[in-house]
Amino acid sequence: MQRIPIKLAKEGMVLAKDAVTPEGQVLCGVDTSLNEELIARLKRQGVLVISVQGHPVRMPGELSLSEKLKELDKRFSKVQNDPVLRALKHLLGEHLVVEEKGAEFLEKLKKGS
Amino acid sequence: MDKAEIKKRLNDIQSLPTLPPIVSKLNEMVADEEITAVKLGKVIEKDQVLTSKLLKMVNSSFFGFPQRISTVSNAIVLLGFNVIKTLIVTSSIFEVMQASDVGLFEHSLGCAAACGIIAKRRQIKNPEEVSTAGLIHDLGKIVLRSELPEEYEAIVTEAREKGRYMREVEKERIGIGHGEIGGMLARQWNLPERLVFPIEYHHKPEQAPDFKEIAAIVHFSDILIRAVGFGNGGDPWVPALDHNAWERIKLTKSQMKEIIAELDEKLLELQDFTLEIKVEG
Ligand SMILES: [Fe+2]
Ligand SMILES: [Fe+2]
Repeated sequence: MQRIPIKLAKEGMVLAKDAVTPEGQVLCGVDTSLNEELIARLKRQGVLVISVQGHPVRMPGELSLSEKLKELDKRFSKVQNDPVLRALKHLLGEHLVVEEKGAEFLEKLKKGS
Repeated sequence: MDKAEIKKRLNDIQSLPTLPPIVSKLNEMVADEEITAVKLGKVIEKDQVLTSKLLKMVNSSFFGFPQRISTVSNAIVLLGFNVIKTLIVTSSIFEVMQASDVGLFEHSLGCAAACGIIAKRRQIKNPEEVSTAGLIHDLGKIVLRSELPEEYEAIVTEAREKGRYMREVEKERIGIGHGEIGGMLARQWNLPERLVFPIEYHHKPEQAPDFKEIAAIVHFSDILIRAVGFGNGGDPWVPALDHNAWERIKLTKSQMKEIIAELDEKLLELQDFTLEIKVEG
Protein backbone atom coordinates (compact mmCIF):
# COMPACT_ATOMS: atom_id res chain seq x y z
CA MET A 1 0.00 0.00 0.00
CA GLN A 2 1.16 3.53 -0.71
CA ARG A 3 -0.24 6.91 0.22
CA ILE A 4 0.06 9.36 -2.62
CA PRO A 5 -1.09 12.93 -3.23
CA ILE A 6 -4.17 12.94 -5.46
CA LYS A 7 -2.30 14.74 -8.22
CA LEU A 8 -0.18 11.63 -8.76
CA ALA A 9 -3.22 9.35 -9.12
CA LYS A 10 -3.41 7.50 -12.43
CA GLU A 11 -6.03 5.44 -14.23
CA GLY A 12 -5.78 1.77 -13.23
CA MET A 13 -4.59 2.33 -9.66
CA VAL A 14 -6.66 0.49 -7.06
CA LEU A 15 -7.69 2.04 -3.74
CA ALA A 16 -6.19 0.26 -0.73
CA LYS A 17 -8.39 2.30 1.60
CA ASP A 18 -11.54 4.42 1.26
CA ALA A 19 -10.95 7.77 -0.38
CA VAL A 20 -12.03 10.44 2.11
CA THR A 21 -12.22 14.22 2.12
CA PRO A 22 -10.25 16.12 4.80
CA GLU A 23 -13.59 16.41 6.61
CA GLY A 24 -13.82 12.64 6.77
CA GLN A 25 -16.55 12.06 4.19
CA VAL A 26 -16.09 8.77 2.31
CA LEU A 27 -16.35 9.26 -1.46
CA CYS A 28 -15.08 6.00 -2.85
CA GLY A 29 -14.67 2.57 -1.27
CA VAL A 30 -11.63 0.37 -0.86
CA ASP A 31 -10.78 -1.86 -3.89
CA THR A 32 -12.22 0.67 -6.36
CA SER A 33 -10.21 0.82 -9.54
CA LEU A 34 -9.59 4.44 -10.52
CA ASN A 35 -10.36 5.98 -13.91
CA GLU A 36 -9.93 9.54 -15.16
CA GLU A 37 -13.49 10.46 -14.35
CA LEU A 38 -13.26 9.23 -10.76
CA ILE A 39 -9.93 10.95 -10.20
CA ALA A 40 -11.37 14.24 -11.42
CA ARG A 41 -14.33 13.85 -9.09
CA LEU A 42 -12.10 13.13 -6.07
CA LYS A 43 -10.04 16.23 -6.84
CA ARG A 44 -13.17 18.34 -7.18
CA GLN A 45 -14.47 17.14 -3.81
CA GLY A 46 -11.25 18.18 -2.08
CA VAL A 47 -9.53 14.81 -1.52
CA LEU A 48 -5.82 15.47 -0.96
CA VAL A 49 -4.26 12.07 -0.36
CA ILE A 50 -5.30 8.53 -1.28
CA SER A 51 -3.99 5.08 -0.40
CA VAL A 52 -3.45 2.77 -3.35
CA GLN A 53 -2.42 -0.87 -3.67
CA GLY A 54 1.17 -1.80 -4.30
CA HIS A 55 3.80 0.87 -4.67
CA PRO A 56 3.17 2.52 -8.03
CA VAL A 57 4.95 5.83 -7.45
CA ARG A 58 8.60 6.34 -6.54
CA MET A 59 8.65 9.65 -4.68
CA PRO A 60 11.62 11.96 -5.15
CA GLY A 61 14.36 10.87 -2.76
CA GLU A 62 12.58 7.63 -1.96
CA LEU A 63 14.73 4.50 -1.84
CA SER A 64 14.10 1.42 -3.94
CA LEU A 65 13.03 -1.77 -2.18
CA SER A 66 16.51 -3.27 -2.25
CA GLU A 67 17.99 -0.05 -0.91
CA LYS A 68 15.40 -0.02 1.88
CA LEU A 69 16.33 -3.59 2.81
CA LYS A 70 20.00 -2.66 2.84
CA GLU A 71 19.29 0.29 5.15
CA LEU A 72 17.32 -2.03 7.43
CA ASP A 73 20.35 -4.32 7.65
CA LYS A 74 22.59 -1.40 8.48
CA ARG A 75 20.37 -0.15 11.29
CA PHE A 76 20.47 -3.60 12.90
CA SER A 77 24.22 -4.02 12.49
CA LYS A 78 24.99 -3.61 16.21
CA VAL A 79 22.40 -6.10 17.43
CA GLN A 80 22.85 -8.97 15.00
CA ASN A 81 23.40 -11.53 17.73
CA ASP A 82 20.12 -10.83 19.48
CA PRO A 83 17.55 -13.49 18.47
CA VAL A 84 14.51 -11.32 19.36
CA LEU A 85 15.79 -8.39 17.34
CA ARG A 86 16.81 -10.67 14.49
CA ALA A 87 13.23 -11.89 14.34
CA LEU A 88 12.02 -8.28 14.42
CA LYS A 89 14.28 -7.38 11.52
CA HIS A 90 12.99 -10.33 9.57
CA LEU A 91 9.36 -9.24 10.10
CA LEU A 92 10.17 -5.66 9.09
CA GLY A 93 11.88 -6.90 5.93
CA GLU A 94 8.82 -8.98 5.05
CA HIS A 95 6.62 -5.99 5.73
CA LEU A 96 8.64 -3.87 3.30
CA VAL A 97 8.36 -6.55 0.60
CA VAL A 98 4.60 -6.95 1.08
CA GLU A 99 4.05 -3.18 1.02
CA GLU A 100 5.68 -2.91 -2.37
CA LYS A 101 5.02 -6.21 -4.08
CA GLY A 102 1.98 -7.60 -2.31
CA ALA A 103 1.51 -10.68 -0.13
CA GLU A 104 1.51 -13.17 -3.03
CA PHE A 105 4.99 -12.08 -4.03
CA LEU A 106 6.30 -12.81 -0.54
CA GLU A 107 4.69 -16.25 -0.57
CA LYS A 108 6.32 -17.05 -3.89
CA LEU A 109 9.63 -15.75 -2.59
CA LYS A 110 9.37 -18.01 0.47
CA LYS A 111 8.52 -21.07 -1.61
CA GLY A 112 11.33 -20.32 -4.03
CA SER A 113 14.04 -20.06 -1.44
CA MET B 1 33.88 18.88 33.05
CA ASP B 2 32.81 16.38 35.69
CA LYS B 3 29.43 14.98 36.48
CA ALA B 4 28.78 17.28 39.42
CA GLU B 5 29.51 20.33 37.31
CA ILE B 6 27.24 19.09 34.56
CA LYS B 7 24.49 18.51 37.08
CA LYS B 8 24.96 22.00 38.43
CA ARG B 9 24.71 23.47 34.98
CA LEU B 10 21.61 21.51 34.19
CA ASN B 11 20.07 22.60 37.43
CA ASP B 12 19.74 26.17 36.36
CA ILE B 13 19.02 25.75 32.76
CA GLN B 14 19.06 29.04 30.97
CA SER B 15 18.77 28.51 27.27
CA LEU B 16 15.74 26.25 27.36
CA PRO B 17 12.47 28.10 27.24
CA THR B 18 11.24 28.64 30.78
CA LEU B 19 8.18 26.95 32.14
CA PRO B 20 5.06 28.83 31.27
CA PRO B 21 3.80 30.58 34.46
CA ILE B 22 0.50 28.84 33.97
CA VAL B 23 2.12 25.55 35.03
CA SER B 24 2.74 26.56 38.63
CA LYS B 25 -0.75 27.94 38.84
CA LEU B 26 -2.14 24.65 37.52
CA ASN B 27 0.00 22.70 39.99
CA GLU B 28 -1.51 24.70 42.83
CA MET B 29 -4.98 24.13 41.52
CA VAL B 30 -4.47 20.39 41.19
CA ALA B 31 -3.30 20.19 44.79
CA ASP B 32 -6.80 21.34 45.68
CA GLU B 33 -8.92 18.21 45.72
CA GLU B 34 -12.13 20.02 44.94
CA ILE B 35 -10.88 21.11 41.58
CA THR B 36 -12.73 19.89 38.50
CA ALA B 37 -11.62 19.33 34.94
CA VAL B 38 -13.97 22.07 33.82
CA LYS B 39 -12.35 24.63 36.16
CA LEU B 40 -8.87 23.59 35.11
CA GLY B 41 -9.87 23.70 31.48
CA LYS B 42 -11.18 27.23 31.89
CA VAL B 43 -7.87 28.45 33.27
CA ILE B 44 -5.93 26.91 30.42
CA GLU B 45 -8.35 28.16 27.81
CA LYS B 46 -7.64 31.76 28.81
CA ASP B 47 -4.38 31.29 26.95
CA GLN B 48 -5.54 30.89 23.38
CA VAL B 49 -2.18 30.09 21.83
CA LEU B 50 -1.51 27.39 24.39
CA THR B 51 -5.02 26.03 23.96
CA SER B 52 -4.74 25.67 20.22
CA LYS B 53 -1.32 24.02 20.53
CA LEU B 54 -2.67 21.68 23.15
CA LEU B 55 -5.71 20.68 21.15
CA LYS B 56 -3.56 20.06 18.11
CA MET B 57 -1.38 17.70 20.13
CA VAL B 58 -4.23 15.80 21.76
CA ASN B 59 -5.94 15.37 18.40
CA SER B 60 -2.81 14.18 16.66
CA SER B 61 -2.68 10.59 15.62
CA PHE B 62 -0.35 9.27 18.30
CA PHE B 63 -3.14 9.41 20.84
CA GLY B 64 -5.56 8.11 18.24
CA PHE B 65 -8.91 9.14 19.67
CA PRO B 66 -11.64 8.39 17.16
CA GLN B 67 -13.64 11.53 17.90
CA ARG B 68 -12.25 15.05 17.85
CA ILE B 69 -11.47 16.58 21.23
CA SER B 70 -12.61 20.17 21.07
CA THR B 71 -12.23 21.56 24.59
CA VAL B 72 -9.42 21.49 27.13
CA SER B 73 -11.67 20.14 29.87
CA ASN B 74 -12.63 17.26 27.62
CA ALA B 75 -8.98 16.63 26.95
CA ILE B 76 -8.34 16.52 30.71
CA VAL B 77 -11.16 14.06 31.27
CA LEU B 78 -10.09 11.80 28.38
CA LEU B 79 -6.32 11.94 28.73
CA GLY B 80 -5.84 12.73 32.40
CA PHE B 81 -4.18 15.71 33.99
CA ASN B 82 -0.67 14.22 33.93
CA VAL B 83 -0.74 14.09 30.16
CA ILE B 84 -2.12 17.59 29.72
CA LYS B 85 0.35 19.02 32.19
CA THR B 86 3.27 17.32 30.45
CA LEU B 87 2.12 18.62 27.09
CA ILE B 88 1.93 22.15 28.49
CA VAL B 89 5.32 21.91 30.18
CA THR B 90 7.00 20.54 27.07
CA SER B 91 5.16 22.50 24.39
CA SER B 92 7.82 25.19 24.11
CA ILE B 93 10.57 22.58 24.09
CA PHE B 94 8.93 20.74 21.24
CA GLU B 95 8.68 23.99 19.37
CA VAL B 96 12.43 24.42 19.70
CA MET B 97 12.90 20.83 18.63
CA GLN B 98 10.72 21.15 15.53
CA ALA B 99 12.86 24.02 14.39
CA SER B 100 16.29 22.70 15.32
CA ASP B 101 16.02 18.94 15.03
CA VAL B 102 13.11 17.57 12.99
CA GLY B 103 14.67 14.11 13.06
CA LEU B 104 14.53 13.92 16.85
CA PHE B 105 11.03 15.40 16.82
CA GLU B 106 9.85 12.65 14.47
CA HIS B 107 11.68 10.01 16.50
CA SER B 108 9.81 11.24 19.60
CA LEU B 109 6.39 11.32 17.92
CA GLY B 110 6.98 7.89 16.43
CA CYS B 111 8.04 6.46 19.77
CA ALA B 112 4.91 7.95 21.36
CA ALA B 113 2.77 6.25 18.71
CA ALA B 114 4.46 2.88 19.28
CA CYS B 115 4.06 3.25 23.07
CA GLY B 116 0.35 3.95 22.65
CA ILE B 117 -0.19 0.90 20.44
CA ILE B 118 1.62 -1.45 22.83
CA ALA B 119 0.11 0.07 25.99
CA LYS B 120 -3.41 -0.36 24.60
CA ARG B 121 -2.71 -4.00 23.76
CA ARG B 122 -1.47 -4.57 27.27
CA GLN B 123 -4.60 -2.86 28.57
CA ILE B 124 -2.70 -0.40 30.67
CA LYS B 125 -5.11 1.90 32.47
CA ASN B 126 -4.05 5.19 30.95
CA PRO B 127 -2.29 4.37 27.66
CA GLU B 128 -2.02 8.06 26.80
CA GLU B 129 0.31 8.48 29.75
CA VAL B 130 2.62 5.87 28.24
CA SER B 131 2.47 7.67 24.88
CA THR B 132 3.43 10.85 26.67
CA ALA B 133 6.39 9.15 28.33
CA GLY B 134 7.45 8.01 24.85
CA LEU B 135 7.03 11.51 23.52
CA ILE B 136 9.52 12.95 25.99
CA HIS B 137 11.83 9.95 26.53
CA ASP B 138 14.77 11.69 24.81
CA LEU B 139 14.25 14.99 26.60
CA GLY B 140 17.84 14.69 27.83
CA LYS B 141 19.13 14.97 24.28
CA ILE B 142 17.32 18.25 23.75
CA VAL B 143 18.75 19.59 26.99
CA LEU B 144 22.25 18.49 26.04
CA ARG B 145 21.93 20.08 22.66
CA SER B 146 20.86 23.45 23.99
CA GLU B 147 22.95 23.53 27.18
CA LEU B 148 26.19 21.91 26.03
CA PRO B 149 26.12 22.40 22.26
CA GLU B 150 29.81 21.69 21.64
CA GLU B 151 29.81 18.51 23.68
CA TYR B 152 26.59 17.44 22.01
CA GLU B 153 28.06 17.97 18.56
CA ALA B 154 31.17 15.99 19.51
CA ILE B 155 29.06 13.16 20.95
CA VAL B 156 26.86 12.88 17.84
CA THR B 157 29.87 12.96 15.53
CA GLU B 158 31.75 10.32 17.47
CA ALA B 159 28.68 8.07 17.62
CA ARG B 160 28.20 8.33 13.87
CA GLU B 161 31.80 8.01 12.80
CA LYS B 162 32.83 5.24 15.15
CA GLY B 163 29.56 3.35 14.90
CA ARG B 164 28.79 3.69 18.61
CA TYR B 165 25.71 4.35 20.67
CA MET B 166 25.21 7.94 21.74
CA ARG B 167 24.65 7.09 25.36
CA GLU B 168 27.99 5.26 25.60
CA VAL B 169 29.80 8.28 24.23
CA GLU B 170 27.83 10.56 26.58
CA LYS B 171 28.95 8.52 29.56
CA GLU B 172 32.59 8.73 28.47
CA ARG B 173 32.65 12.38 27.61
CA ILE B 174 30.41 13.95 30.22
CA GLY B 175 29.84 11.16 32.71
CA ILE B 176 26.07 11.13 32.46
CA GLY B 177 23.61 9.73 29.94
CA HIS B 178 20.65 11.50 28.34
CA GLY B 179 18.22 9.27 30.20
CA GLU B 180 19.45 10.49 33.55
CA ILE B 181 19.48 14.11 32.36
CA GLY B 182 15.89 13.82 31.12
CA GLY B 183 14.88 12.28 34.42
CA MET B 184 16.45 15.15 36.37
CA LEU B 185 14.55 17.71 34.36
CA ALA B 186 11.25 15.86 34.54
CA ARG B 187 11.66 15.68 38.31
CA GLN B 188 12.46 19.37 38.46
CA TRP B 189 9.15 19.99 36.72
CA ASN B 190 7.31 17.85 39.26
CA LEU B 191 6.13 15.37 36.69
CA PRO B 192 4.83 12.18 38.34
CA GLU B 193 7.12 9.17 38.77
CA ARG B 194 5.04 7.23 36.25
CA LEU B 195 6.64 9.56 33.70
CA VAL B 196 9.98 10.31 35.35
CA PHE B 197 11.12 6.68 35.72
CA PRO B 198 10.37 5.57 32.16
CA ILE B 199 12.32 8.57 30.82
CA GLU B 200 15.22 8.09 33.18
CA TYR B 201 15.49 4.34 32.63
CA HIS B 202 14.48 3.93 29.00
CA HIS B 203 17.84 2.32 28.22
CA LYS B 204 17.92 0.17 31.40
CA PRO B 205 14.24 -0.36 32.24
CA GLU B 206 14.80 -3.13 34.79
CA GLN B 207 16.66 -0.72 37.06
CA ALA B 208 13.65 1.58 37.38
CA PRO B 209 12.56 1.64 41.05
CA ASP B 210 8.92 1.44 39.95
CA PHE B 211 6.70 1.43 36.85
CA LYS B 212 8.93 -1.16 35.22
CA GLU B 213 6.24 -2.16 32.76
CA ILE B 214 5.87 1.37 31.40
CA ALA B 215 9.66 1.68 31.28
CA ALA B 216 9.81 -1.59 29.34
CA ILE B 217 7.22 -0.35 26.83
CA VAL B 218 9.12 2.89 26.25
CA HIS B 219 12.37 0.92 25.97
CA PHE B 220 10.97 -1.38 23.33
CA SER B 221 9.12 1.38 21.46
CA ASP B 222 12.38 3.31 21.17
CA ILE B 223 13.94 0.20 19.63
CA LEU B 224 10.97 -0.41 17.35
CA ILE B 225 10.83 3.11 15.96
CA ARG B 226 14.54 3.05 15.20
CA ALA B 227 14.16 -0.38 13.65
CA VAL B 228 11.49 1.01 11.34
CA GLY B 229 13.82 3.90 10.52
CA PHE B 230 11.37 6.71 11.26
CA GLY B 231 12.92 10.00 12.36
CA ASN B 232 16.40 10.27 13.78
CA GLY B 233 17.32 9.52 17.40
CA GLY B 234 20.89 10.87 17.21
CA ASP B 235 22.78 7.76 16.14
CA PRO B 236 21.36 5.47 13.44
CA TRP B 237 21.65 2.16 15.35
CA VAL B 238 18.92 -0.01 16.78
CA PRO B 239 19.69 -0.08 20.53
CA ALA B 240 20.30 -3.29 22.48
CA LEU B 241 17.24 -4.98 23.90
CA ASP B 242 17.00 -5.67 27.63
CA HIS B 243 15.76 -9.24 27.73
CA ASN B 244 14.34 -9.06 31.23
CA ALA B 245 12.24 -6.10 30.14
CA TRP B 246 11.25 -8.03 27.04
CA GLU B 247 10.04 -10.93 29.22
CA ARG B 248 7.65 -8.46 30.84
CA ILE B 249 5.97 -7.33 27.66
CA LYS B 250 6.85 -10.17 25.29
CA LEU B 251 4.95 -10.14 22.01
CA THR B 252 4.35 -13.13 19.77
CA LYS B 253 5.36 -13.08 16.15
CA SER B 254 1.81 -12.54 14.95
CA GLN B 255 1.20 -9.76 17.50
CA MET B 256 4.42 -8.16 16.35
CA LYS B 257 3.23 -8.33 12.74
CA GLU B 258 -0.02 -6.60 13.64
CA ILE B 259 1.83 -3.92 15.59
CA ILE B 260 4.15 -3.23 12.65
CA ALA B 261 1.17 -2.77 10.33
CA GLU B 262 -0.67 -0.58 12.85
CA LEU B 263 2.41 1.53 13.47
CA ASP B 264 2.98 1.97 9.75
CA GLU B 265 -0.48 3.50 9.36
CA LYS B 266 0.07 5.79 12.34
CA LEU B 267 3.39 6.95 10.96
CA LEU B 268 1.78 7.93 7.67
CA GLU B 269 -0.71 10.04 9.60
CA LEU B 270 2.10 11.49 11.69
CA GLN B 271 3.92 12.54 8.57
CA ASP B 272 0.85 14.52 7.59
CA PHE B 273 0.84 16.03 11.09
CA THR B 274 4.48 17.16 10.97
CA LEU B 275 3.93 18.42 7.43
CA GLU B 276 0.97 20.47 8.65
CA ILE B 277 3.12 21.99 11.38
CA LYS B 278 5.83 22.83 8.88
CA VAL B 279 3.34 24.46 6.53
CA GLU B 280 1.69 26.47 9.28
CA GLY B 281 5.09 27.43 10.69
FE1 LIG C 1 17.39 7.40 24.33
FE1 LIG D 1 15.10 7.48 21.67
